[in-house]
Formats: sequence, C-alpha cells, structure tokens
Amino acid sequence: MPAERSLGLSLVLSEITVLFRRLRTWAMIGALALIPILIAVVVRVSSDGSASGRGPAFLDSITQNGLFVSLTALTVAIPLFLPLTIGVVAGDTIAGEANLGTLRYLLVAPAGRIRLLLVKYTGAALFCLVATLTVVVTGAIIGALLFPVGPVTLLSGDTVGIVGYFGRLLLLALYVTVSLMGLSAIGLFISTLTTIPVGAMAATAALAAVAQILGALPQLEWLHPWLFTNYWLGFADFLRQPLVWNSFLDNALLQFGYIAVFGSLAYGRFSTKDILS
Amino acid sequence: MNKNWRWLPAGIVPVVIVTAAVSGSAVAEAQPQLPAKTAQELLEFVATSAEDAYSGTVEQSSDLGLPDISMATPPGGTSSSDPTSTALELLTADHTAQVYVDGPDRARVQVLDQLAQRDVVVNQDDVWFYDSSANEAMHAVLPDRESAKAELEAKLQEKAAEYPELQDVPRTPAELAEVFLATIDPSTEVTVDGTRRVAGRSAYELRLTPEDATTLIGSIAVSVDSETGVPLSVTVQAKGQEDAAFQAGFSAVDFSTPDAGIFEFTPPADATVTEAPTVDDARARMEAKDEPIATDEPVVIGEGWSTIVELPAGTAAKLGVAPGSGEAAGMGDIMDIKPGMDPEEVAGAQAMLDQALTEVDGGSALQTSLVSVLVTDDGRILAGAVGVDQLVAAAQR
Amino acid sequence: MSADGFAIETRGLTKEFGRQKAVNSVDLAVPRGTVFGFLGPNGSGKTTTIRVLLGLAAASSGEIRLLDGDMPKDARAVLPRVGALVEGPAIYPFLSGRANLQRFDAADRHTSPATRNRRVDAALERVGLSHAANKRAHAYSLGMKQRLGIANALLAPRDLLILDEPTNGLDPQGTREVRSLIRSLSEDGTTIFVSSHLLAEVEQMCTMIAVMSAGRLVAQGSLDELRDGGTVRVRVTTPDVSDARRVLTGLGLRPEPHGRDDVVAAELAVPGLLPEAVNAALVHADVRVRGFEASGASLEDRFVALTGEGFDVAG
Repeated sequence: MPAERSLGLSLVLSEITVLFRRLRTWAMIGALALIPILIAVVVRVSSDGSASGRGPAFLDSITQNGLFVSLTALTVAIPLFLPLTIGVVAGDTIAGEANLGTLRYLLVAPAGRIRLLLVKYTGAALFCLVATLTVVVTGAIIGALLFPVGPVTLLSGDTVGIVGYFGRLLLLALYVTVSLMGLSAIGLFISTLTTIPVGAMAATAALAAVAQILGALPQLEWLHPWLFTNYWLGFADFLRQPLVWNSFLDNALLQFGYIAVFGSLAYGRFSTKDILS
Repeated sequence: MNKNWRWLPAGIVPVVIVTAAVSGSAVAEAQPQLPAKTAQELLEFVATSAEDAYSGTVEQSSDLGLPDISMATPPGGTSSSDPTSTALELLTADHTAQVYVDGPDRARVQVLDQLAQRDVVVNQDDVWFYDSSANEAMHAVLPDRESAKAELEAKLQEKAAEYPELQDVPRTPAELAEVFLATIDPSTEVTVDGTRRVAGRSAYELRLTPEDATTLIGSIAVSVDSETGVPLSVTVQAKGQEDAAFQAGFSAVDFSTPDAGIFEFTPPADATVTEAPTVDDARARMEAKDEPIATDEPVVIGEGWSTIVELPAGTAAKLGVAPGSGEAAGMGDIMDIKPGMDPEEVAGAQAMLDQALTEVDGGSALQTSLVSVLVTDDGRILAGAVGVDQLVAAAQR
Repeated sequence: MSADGFAIETRGLTKEFGRQKAVNSVDLAVPRGTVFGFLGPNGSGKTTTIRVLLGLAAASSGEIRLLDGDMPKDARAVLPRVGALVEGPAIYPFLSGRANLQRFDAADRHTSPATRNRRVDAALERVGLSHAANKRAHAYSLGMKQRLGIANALLAPRDLLILDEPTNGLDPQGTREVRSLIRSLSEDGTTIFVSSHLLAEVEQMCTMIAVMSAGRLVAQGSLDELRDGGTVRVRVTTPDVSDARRVLTGLGLRPEPHGRDDVVAAELAVPGLLPEAVNAALVHADVRVRGFEASGASLEDRFVALTGEGFDVAG
C-alpha cells in the first residue's frame, strides 16, 4: 500500500547528486574555472604596466587589483561559455533521460510529469548558480594569488572595501544566475521536444547566440527589450555607487516572463507526450 | 482522451504577458486629470520650483536620421580626452543616466554605459568628472557663487543707473514668465498641451511650436511635474518624422533628498587626475596670449528658429575638413579616430561619415532630422535647424 | 472493483501512430493472483500495450483499469503499487547499480527515504547483484543490467508486476532464477504480467495467457482452455481405405485425401465425438485398423494458427 506522500525532496536531492556525479558536469565547471585562470596568468606574464584601453572590460584594472579578475572573466564568459554550459545542462534535462531510457522508469516510479519538470528545472537553475560562482570565486582566488589586492574602485569612481566588494560580487553572481534562468527554461522546453540530447543542447546554445546577434542589430531596437539576453551585461549595475536596481528588476521580470512562457510550453509538451524511448 | 487542455497555459501565458505589457503602457499613457493651467501659469509654476531635491533615472534617445555612430566607436563610449566626440556621442546615442539633485549646489549625474560609467559630481564649489573606462578624473573649482552673484547684482545696478529701462528686468517668476512669453510670442506658439504621465507622475505638457515654416523643428514639448514643477521630460519633434528626434526624460523619479554621501567624491587612487583651469586662470591665460583665440566672430544669419550660424572661412581647414573634396578626413575628430586605433575601425567610421555627407551645390552637407551642417568649398561652415537648401542659399548670399 | 477482480482490465484499448494501429481494440482481463503470460511475436504490440497500461503513452481510445484505478487518471495512486520492467532495463551508466536503484526509488514520493538503503539492498540481493552493487553500471553485462531492471521493479512491495521480456539476455541459469523468483513472488500474492515472445517460457511460468498478433488480441484464457480450443485429428492406417472413408463420413467427419493410399485422416470436428468412439465405429464396421492415431494440437500449432507465425521455441 502506498505510504503517505512525502514532499518528495528526495528526487531534487537525487537530481543534484546525479548532475554533479557526472564527469561532464565537472568538465564544464573546470572549463569555466579555466577562464579566469587563463586571463590572470596571461595578464601576469605579459604585463608591461601600460593600460591599452582595449580588450574586455576591467582587463586593465587587473594589474592594480587582482579582484577584478572575476569581473573580466564574467564579461568574457557571459556571451559564450556560460550559455554553452547552460545549454548542455538544460538541453539534457528531459532529452538525456529519454535517450538513456531512464525517463520511462522515473515516470513509472511514478515521479509525476510536472514534478519531474520542476525538479529538472531546479537542477538546471542550481547549475547556473554553481557555474557563475565558479567563475567569480576562481577569479577572486587566482587574482589574489597573482596580483595585489586592495579596496576596489567602482564604476562610479567610488571605492569600497574588500568585504563590501565581496557582497557586491555575490549580488552580481545572483544577477548572472537570474540572467541565465530564461535560457534554462528555453532549454528545458527544447529538451522535451526530442530524445536526442545533443540536438537540444545545440539548439539551446544556438538560440543564445541568435538572441545576442539580434540584440546587436540597431534595426531591431523594438525587439531588444524582449530578448532574454538583453540585460546579460547589466550586472555592472552592482558596481555603481549608489547601487542601481533597475537592471536587476527589469531583468528578473523579463526572465520570469521567459520562465512562464517556456515553462508552460514545456508543460504542454511534456504532459501530453508519449514516452516511447 | 483529449489532453489538449494541457497546452492551455502555453497559450494563455503569452497572452497575459502581452496584455500586461500593453495595459501597463496604456496606464502609463493615460492622461491624468489635473486642474487646467494656462501657459503663463505653468511657466510661473516652473519658475517658482527652485529648491529641488530629487533623484531618478533618465532615459535619453534620439533618432536624427543618421547612421548609428555608436557602432563605429568602441563599446563603453568614447574617451573623455576628446570632448567633441564625447558630446556628440552623448547627444546622438541612447543613454540611461542616474540623476541625483539636492538644491542648486549639489548634483550628480551618472551616465550608465554598459560595463562602464561616466560621472559628473557637483558639490558646492567642486566639480568632478570621472570616466570609468579610461579611469580618468577631472577636477574643476567653480568660482565663488556668492561673490559672483554679488558682482552681477552690482553690475546690474550700475547698468540700471545708466539705462533706466533696465529697471524693468523681471524679478518675480510671474514677470519672468510674462517676459518670456512676450519675447517668444511672434515666432512661437506656446500652449499647454494637456496632461500625461511621466515616470508614474502626472505632468503638464508645455508645447512650443515654431511658426517658422523653414525650420526643421516641429515642436518641443516639456513635461512639468504637476506637484513640484520640475521638468520631467523634453521631447523634440522634427518635421516630417513620426518618431521623436530627441527625447530625454525620467523613467523613474523620487522627490526625496538623496543621501549626502552621494555627492562626496574622492577620485580612485590609481586614476589619472587632471585639474581643470579655473575661470580666472583661463582668462589670465587668454589675455597673456599674443593673438586672440577667435579673430573672426561667427556670423548669425536670420533670427528665431531659422537662425543660421556661419563660421568664417578657415574654420573648416582648422578642423581638418578638406574643402571642396567632399571628403572629411578631419572629421576623424568627431568620429574619435585616434592613433593606434584599428585601421578597419577608422575606415568604417570614415565610410559611415561619407555615407552621411551629401554633395550639394558649393560644398558638402550633413543633413539630420533636426540640424543641417554645410561645409562650403571655400571652407566656411554653416549650421542651423533648417534644411540644407536654406544653408546653401545663405552661403551664396 | 473488488479485490478479487482483475489486476488489469482494458476495454477497446487502441493506440494509433498516425494511421497505423499498433494496438487495436484490445480487451485484456488479467485476474488477480495469476501469473499471466502476454505472448506474441516481436512487433505484435505487446510493448506498446504495456506503455499505454503504465501511462507512458496515451491511449487513442478505450479504457484501462489497473488495480483499483483508471489509467492514466489515477496514475499517482496506482503506479506506486506497480513494479515494471518495460522494454529492457535502462540505467545511468555513470552511476553504480545501487545508486541507480536509489535514484529510481527517490522518484516515487511514496517511498520512505529512511528505508531506502535497506530496500535497495534487499532488491539487489533478490536478483543476485549484491556483489556488483557498487560497480558502475556501464561495466555491467547484459544479464546484470537485466537483473538490475528487475530489481528496480522490486524496490517496494508491489501488488502488480509488469515484466516485459524479463529473461532477455539471461543465461539458462539466470532464466531459471527469474522463473523461480516469479514463482515465489506469485506465492506472496503478487499478480505478475509477463510478456514474452517465447512460448516455452510462458508455458513454464504462467497459468493464464493472452496472445497478441498484429496489434490484436487473438486469444485469452488459461493454458488448458487454449489447448482445448484446438481440434484433434485422427489418422487411420488401413488396407480398407474406402470402407474407412465411408465410416468416417457416416460419423459426420470429412475425410481428407492423404499422400499414402493406406491412410485416411480427418479432423475431429464433431462436438462430443471422441477419438475412441471413432476407432470403435471403424472396428465395428470391420475395417481392418492397422494403426490409429489421435493427435491433439500442440500449443505451438495453436499459436501458429492464431498468429500466422512460427515461434522461436528454442529461444
């Protein structure tokens, strides 16, 4: 006889365990960690003390303050590497289970289709946070190892202490995580469309690229506020004094819209889908 | 069994979002009910609202019918070392700025660029300009206001003794409004064009419509907050263009006094700080120089809205614009071409400029939806808020 | 439905893929407590039927009752009581066998996390995988994966087990173990629904069977009923062929010509007529009977007749 139903957090835990027991997940986290390390090492080795004003944002500041490595790395990772890894994780959510055939056993268990979608999305969202934190924390550590560390100059020219800066870095990581939630929802939906995970991963990552290209075309300005990539680089708002929350709120609202739309699409698709794999 | 209803949320959610977005902007655009005011009353109202403390977000956008200059410049805007390009970029590209104002003595404007920021901080007599992308700060000291004011007053008294009609200098806001309207009246229609919502606040719309047929300016609208009298937005409409040619206004505004700490600025330790010459210094330096800086005064042709400013021959050459060639190599100043820049970038900026410039009778011209500039073959520069044909006519006069 | 009703009951169950009917108005009735064989050649619609039964795929039409609920409406209440092996096992290759089972167990929110490890170990023990529990599953042999799949169906006490080709990939020893496992589970009162394309297997394990062919259910009942459903043939070897024909015709049978001229054969198509009565009649008519053979149809013949295909008896 069925026992009383628990909250079912076991499946969330299990999802997280499975996600982080995969070699692939660690390979991606390793690749993300490599970004700040590469940047810091290259700057350290080739540093001639002159600021060129070129290259990614904050690059010139690294030699003066190692804490900027996190920011440069984030700026580099956001357009390409982060969406790529999110594409892999989000695209794999349902399609990966379908490909292994384990999807049918989860559903027969029964996991419940809506619950499984929610659990899968939770896993993908957690990965967004871990991926972002990987870049930020690795950047801070390698920066502190290779360069002098001190109070940080914000974009507004004001200076904050290290503790205040780390508070802002955490907010910033949160911002980037929220930024990637919409893409995760898109990936989840695409993942319900196919049993070939590679296809879903590629489609998700490609969409992130397409959205950024559209966002760069001034002819499509009317479309820009609706693109999920629109506020991706808006994290700089946390480096202003006083803190500006506009981007964060606009971004959160936009991402929530994407989550709602693609979440309901994923629900529509997954709850009516015949599991034949 | 029909399970199609499970697609229902996927159908409903986008509709809800679009409806919310549309109705949200409909609410924002709904005309608030406010007691009627005449143009004179509204101007008085603006003039009385002197002591302001507020903060907010200003959005600025423009559609001058020009190729997008921001595409030719590196992201994060241009370097502050080139004031021309900075000014041009600030005017033509879209911007978001945070504005903090506490009375006439304290203000901070932060132009929020992507991953960069430019700050102007005014605190009593200190003015700071800071550009984060270049990590450069500029400091200036304002002349002592009180003494300057007293000096001005003394001068006025002196003049008033000489010319009795100057006794009529308007002193009260009401007088100011009256004089303004009287002066502007023949050329411009000033109306209160209903009410609207700006940054969630109800505002009066003051509209200036030139009655001059030759000017490119269709109208200028200023939204005035109905409670405080603070102007909340400015919109410049060009003739024959549906979208506003220039628009700047608050998207959010808060009428509480900003934290005093905002106006305190200490440049970062590693920033390059330059000290701007004080007014007295500048004057002294100008006087010390043998040749005066401007020998030829600009010529002003016409009046009112269709005023044309003519810079004398040689100005173009000084700016590096090759006369007669139609090519504006020296416009590189404006396009922020610097040594060490990617040649492709330079070429791109050049091509864009060439595209913008058109060959006309006796020179080449730049036509935007608001302003036209003519560089004549003999090196004069004419500019005005009129069509190119007007400039050509003025040049051949 | 009362407890002694059916564990599985479908009415007019149909599943279409495009215009093709993979399952065509199937009326299954699986009584509780039985070991029920679901027999049919590959591609006859067995696995599709099982997917629809478990709510993995939606039926195009028809009704399904599983234990005490309607599927897929009551899936959340019913499925925890059902253990299943569908179209072979599926595993996370990067997890150990034990971790695989823990994952599937966690998917069911009715199971208790407190007893999870104990239940997982018990299931592994039951299928003989304890020694390989901590090995990564990608290193498992086909047979071990199959055992892991069965263990997954046994993670919790079940009222119904649906096992799709449970002996696939197992060696003879493993096959015997699974058979005895099914028997012991059945003795505990679990209804077991076993699909197979192997007649011999079903004959050895099941008390009831249903036969699928090309998406249709062509026969259903106990093994004996199905055997009885076949007709008996009599074969008479005699020098008096024409007399024998006459006698047989007189009994209402239709003698068929036979290859040899001293043999008469006929299908025993008259209800109630037994072979011994035919022999008696022949002897009574002074037919010199040198040989008399009455052969009942084997199950195999029966299925060949029903499905139009031969079974892979040898496996």
